[in-house]
Amino acid sequence: MPDVYTTEWYEAVRDAMNASAADLPDLPDGSFVVAIEIVGDGISPYVGTEGRRFLVRIDAGRCSWWRETLDRAEERREAGGPVDYRFTGPATVFDELAAGIGDPIDAALRGIINVRGDVRFLLRHADHVKALLDAYTTRVATTWPRGRPPYDGSPGGSQGVLPGAKGESASA
Amino acid sequence: MRDSFDAVVIGAGHNGLTLGAYLARSGLDVLVLERRHEEGGGLCTEELTRPGFLHNVHANYHTFVDMAPPLADLEVESHGVTYVRPDVQMASVFDDGTALCVHTDLERTCASIARFDEADAETFRRLYTEAHGFVGLLLGTLMYQPPMSVKELTKALASFGVEGRSEFLSVKLRRESINAFLDRHFSNPKVKAHLAFHAAVCGYANDLPGLAMSFPLLVGKIDNWNLCIGGSHRLAHALWRDMAQHGGVMISDADVRSIMVEDGRAVGVVLADGTQITARRLVASTVDVEQTFLELLAPDAFPSELRERIAGGAIAHQPWSLFSVHLALSEVPRYEAAQFDPDVDRAWVVNLGYASTEQLDDDWSAARAGRVPKMAHPNAAVNSLYDPTDAPEGCATGLLRQIAPFSLVGSGPGGWDGLARWYGRHCIDAWARFAPNVSGSVIDWVPYTPADIPRKLRNMVQGDWMMGEVSLENMLDRRPLPELSQYRTPVEGLYMAGSTQHPHGFVTFAPAYNALSVIAEDLGLEKWWYDV
Repeated sequence: MPDVYTTEWYEAVRDAMNASAADLPDLPDGSFVVAIEIVGDGISPYVGTEGRRFLVRIDAGRCSWWRETLDRAEERREAGGPVDYRFTGPATVFDELAAGIGDPIDAALRGIINVRGDVRFLLRHADHVKALLDAYTTRVATTWPRGRPPYDGSPGGSQGVLPGAKGESASA
Repeated sequence: MRDSFDAVVIGAGHNGLTLGAYLARSGLDVLVLERRHEEGGGLCTEELTRPGFLHNVHANYHTFVDMAPPLADLEVESHGVTYVRPDVQMASVFDDGTALCVHTDLERTCASIARFDEADAETFRRLYTEAHGFVGLLLGTLMYQPPMSVKELTKALASFGVEGRSEFLSVKLRRESINAFLDRHFSNPKVKAHLAFHAAVCGYANDLPGLAMSFPLLVGKIDNWNLCIGGSHRLAHALWRDMAQHGGVMISDADVRSIMVEDGRAVGVVLADGTQITARRLVASTVDVEQTFLELLAPDAFPSELRERIAGGAIAHQPWSLFSVHLALSEVPRYEAAQFDPDVDRAWVVNLGYASTEQLDDDWSAARAGRVPKMAHPNAAVNSLYDPTDAPEGCATGLLRQIAPFSLVGSGPGGWDGLARWYGRHCIDAWARFAPNVSGSVIDWVPYTPADIPRKLRNMVQGDWMMGEVSLENMLDRRPLPELSQYRTPVEGLYMAGSTQHPHGFVTFAPAYNALSVIAEDLGLEKWWYDV
């Protein structure tokens, strides 16, 4: 079981996403790059105040690669240009998603995770997006060496920040 | 004057100027042509009553100015635009002397609603909070992108299980009226009346099925109404300046008589004086569909079936308009309801007396039937409360607006000319019923009827200031017609970029911004403005 935010973990997430996508009948054509911006909130023991950021490239519905980047300049270089989507949110929330106790749809609806880009594509391929999110949030057996969310002192934790949270999941 | 440009834009309203400025910044050689003597279209500010009193003849309210990409992209602040967001945004005053105020401070709004119904105040708090969570996502998805279909949207909402996560969003909203939404969630008639009134000022009739779909978004802007200091025309001037600084040209008093088409492609325009101007890459029309397709294009330039549909009235216009009174006042109004809530005297926009949604329904019905509502319930805006530059010191400008028909039963639009003074006086009297000092403070006033609207701005056909009905049937990818909804037309190189397009009128810039996106794809322009 990989530790969260390690190379092994990112690769496990990628494999889980692709396994989920493989079950879907119609995968969307084309390629796009998603930037995930995890904003340090001083609570998550895995994300410093400088935050973390990584890129995910999707080709024909499958994750081809992920890359952690330092800043927007590196992000642009790695992506080969501007990214197509950007998801930005506090570290505690992303940790809760990875632990399977947060609800990404709820987080986006409540504006806790800011979504930028042409959301029409995501809406048109809702089943695919859901499968990818489901893989991210529940299909990876993650270990949490510095403590598992929800954290003490979280601004609401899974009970408050994400009222739709699902509670303990199989991803421990 | 040069006779060849990369892009020729017809109409210098805010959409035409916005498109022109973006294209100029993209390196295109741009010409914007305006029939009137000045740029701006609905962004029109004039001293209608007396010198020193600045009246916004059409667009008075600018919403979501902090979220509209063009204002930042085109640096309008650097060109002299200043917005103020009044802390008491809107209010309703009622016959019993009570008043309800909407503040920029949610707590104060909820406290005001709680004086009528505590449960409604808590419902409003939850609705507002939920709406503010997704308003950015909705604007980015639904307003500043070419439109999807209602079917696609509702399917996605269902797939993502939004209904189970939201108290207020539901796929059934597409069948509901705003009235039905309000009845389901709120109890107090005056609270419901105020929320329906706000929707009406947004151009959404509360009794039309399907418009509940947009209601949460309207709540998302209930405290985001902004006033352009010095008059709305300042914004038009700023957009023109930005375009000019990047090499674009705007010519006024330039009446386009036809769009030249060769081999199925728009290649330029001809002016009323016979001047021919070549458009090397594109022509964009920001005027109405009827004018563009029935007057400016030759009949054989596009499919006859489309021509017949447009000529047959396929373009849906708002079946109601607005009767306005512009006033020069010697002092600001003082409401009797200030004894109940002193904040009402600082409210920018005030609903004068609608105390139930049924009263609004009656006025919609009257207007649709060509009748003037007998008992006027105008709304009153006093810009001078927040803009000291718009009237001589100590004085104030006033704006009354009443739901009204464009065409009067029996006398047609022309009937307004004989009715204007009488009905204007009736509206002023309606104001004075709630603010008695108004009677003695009117220095001068000018009526501006629904019939006057297209006389000044031709593209507001039938007094339709939204340039197309706001209804489920004329929304998203159905506006103004399915084959025109994505900003392209059957004529290659000709684009529609005005308020006939999604989303609709109002100072959103979205029709131009979305048309720009389509033009950029077709021309291979780098979208320097689009950075996620």
